Order: sequence, then structure tokens, then C-alpha cells
Amino acid sequence: MSELDRLIHEPARLRILTILAGVEATDFNFLLNTLGLTKGNLSSHIDRLEKAGYVKVEKSFNGRVPHTEFQITPQGREALENYWKQLDEIRNLNPPTDDKQR
Amino acid sequence: MQKKNNPIADPHEIIQWTRRYARSRTIYFLVQWCLIVFVICIIGLVASLTQQAYMAGNKVLFYTSVMFLVIAFFFFIWISISQWTAELVWQVTQWFYGKEGFVSPDEKKRSKALPRWVIVLIGLMLVYHILAALLISFRYLSLQYLQPFSAGALVPVLCILIYYQNLGFWAWLWPILYGLHALLLLCGVPISFPAPWYLLNIMIPIFGYGFIAILIGHIYSRYALWKLKSITRQGLEEEYSNEKQNEEQKDEK
Repeated sequence: MSELDRLIHEPARLRILTILAGVEATDFNFLLNTLGLTKGNLSSHIDRLEKAGYVKVEKSFNGRVPHTEFQITPQGREALENYWKQLDEIRNLNPPTDDKQR
Repeated sequence: MQKKNNPIADPHEIIQWTRRYARSRTIYFLVQWCLIVFVICIIGLVASLTQQAYMAGNKVLFYTSVMFLVIAFFFFIWISISQWTAELVWQVTQWFYGKEGFVSPDEKKRSKALPRWVIVLIGLMLVYHILAALLISFRYLSLQYLQPFSAGALVPVLCILIYYQNLGFWAWLWPILYGLHALLLLCGVPISFPAPWYLLNIMIPIFGYGFIAILIGHIYSRYALWKLKSITRQGLEEEYSNEKQNEEQKDEK
């Protein structure tokens, strides 16, 4: 049984990738507002995901206002799906015990 | 995946609520719709003027109002495609949703433009309504039956647009209510305004049902965002606690 992807296993990064899996693109403010992390913390997580190739960052301008969009990459999507499969495998190895047996 | 044994939030729920939120941010529809209704009001008023001119035998006024009808048609086209409209919609949307951040709902919506035949259909629907205005002007159609006549084109076109743009559940309320209203009128249910308020028979359904659908979508987006935040933040307590400790340590230094 292969090891869980530690990069994805971290709770904040897992949520970032899961949110990105549900949309085509989003920006820093949406992730910040939804997750409630600090800017520094969120930047750090996204940076790690981008370096791993799981998140694509696109920078542009809306008029004069800089705009940064994040998208999950096909590699990131595949890694996320594999992560959930591995987690299911682990759970199936150790099913929850019945309350009566405790 | 068993939710009870899952130490973190169910990912399918997170994805689901993210999508629901993204598809329910309807304020930009409201802006577009207000502009469309504004132009339709102008067309309706000019059509009414045309009818009065025709009945009075005033050829100058009649041809002038027909000319204004044509100008209103081209004004509608300009509103639909101009950068000014796009900028206005963007500014209002940012005013409402800017603090929440940007989110683009679906690959299906963004990667594929509307098919050409759908755009042609929208144009034909407009011509259909211009035709209705002319029929009313020449008294071939009564104003009180304008709404059912309009529903004949508007309901299928709305359904096609909603399908191709992959909008949320709220969007379907609009053609459903509009079609239901038309059916009730044709069945003789007394829900129409008498003269001289005939124009309200089209104005209230065409604006009211769209407004109701959009408003419900917006309210649902508030609920979806609240739900998304509550699900997503579960299990991040340790993360917040670590951040707080780091900040306290920095303050001490």
C-alpha cells in the first residue's frame, strides 16, 4: 500500500485543492475568505502546491488592479483522487469497531 | 467513504457547496436584466405610441415612432454586446461580491461559448417581440395577450440559455413561472390588469419573475457560502491555533 501524499494530507492544503476541484478558477481572496487562514499561511500553502505542480497560477490585470487566479492542474486533480482512494483503503483495513464490543 | 469516520470534512460536500455558491452569484444577472427590461420598456412605450398614432391617422407620428422602434432595436443590440455594459456589470458585481473573492463556476460554462444557433435564436426572439409590438400597434393582437404571446418564444429560449450556461436551480424558476402565468391567462384565470393598465400584464411577469429567480439565487448563494465556510473550516482549528501561537510569539519578541 503506497504512502499518503504528505503534501495533500496537510489539512489546509487538502481543503485548498478540494475547493479548486469544485470550480474552474478562483482567486486568493476567495480562498482566504472561505478558509479563514492568514495571508502568509495561505500564500505558503499555495506556493508549495504550485511547486508540486498541483496548482496553476495565472496573473493578469483587471484594468490597473492585479488579479491572480488559481486552478487545479490535471496532475493535482489526479493526486487528489489518488489521495482519497488511499484514505479509503486505509479505512477499509481498519473498519470502525461496533459500540457493543467496546 | 464513511463520513462518520472521516476526521476531515467530506470532500464531496466541499466540492458540492463550492459549485452551488459559484453558480448562485446572480447579481450580475440582475444588472443585465435591468438593462434588458429598460430597453423592453422603451420598445413597449414606442409601440404604444405607434398604435395611438395609427388609430389617430397621424402619419408623421406613426412613421416617427416606427423609426424609434428600429432605433430601440439597435440600441438593444448595442447594450447586449458593448464593452460599456460589460464594465458596468463587472463594477456592480464587484461591489456585491468583491470581498468574497473571484470564483469561476464551471469548465463547461467557461470553455465553451454559446453555439451560434443559440445566438441567432436570441436575435429571432427579439424580432418576435418587435413583431408583437407591431401587431399590437395595428390592433391584430390585444395587449392583454402579449404575455402568452411572449411566453411562446421567451420560455424555450430561456430554457436553452439556462441549459447551455449550466446555471443553478434558481434560473429554472424564471421560465417556469413565466410559462405558468401564460397558461393561467389562456385558461381565463383573472390575473390580468384591465385597461388602461394593459402594459402591466407584460411588465410585471417579464420583470417580476426574473427578479424573483435572481433574488432567490442570490439568497441561496449566501447560504451556500455559509455552509461552505462551516464545512471547510472544520478540522482547521489546530492550524488557527498554531497561527495564533506564532503571532503571540512574534508580539513577545
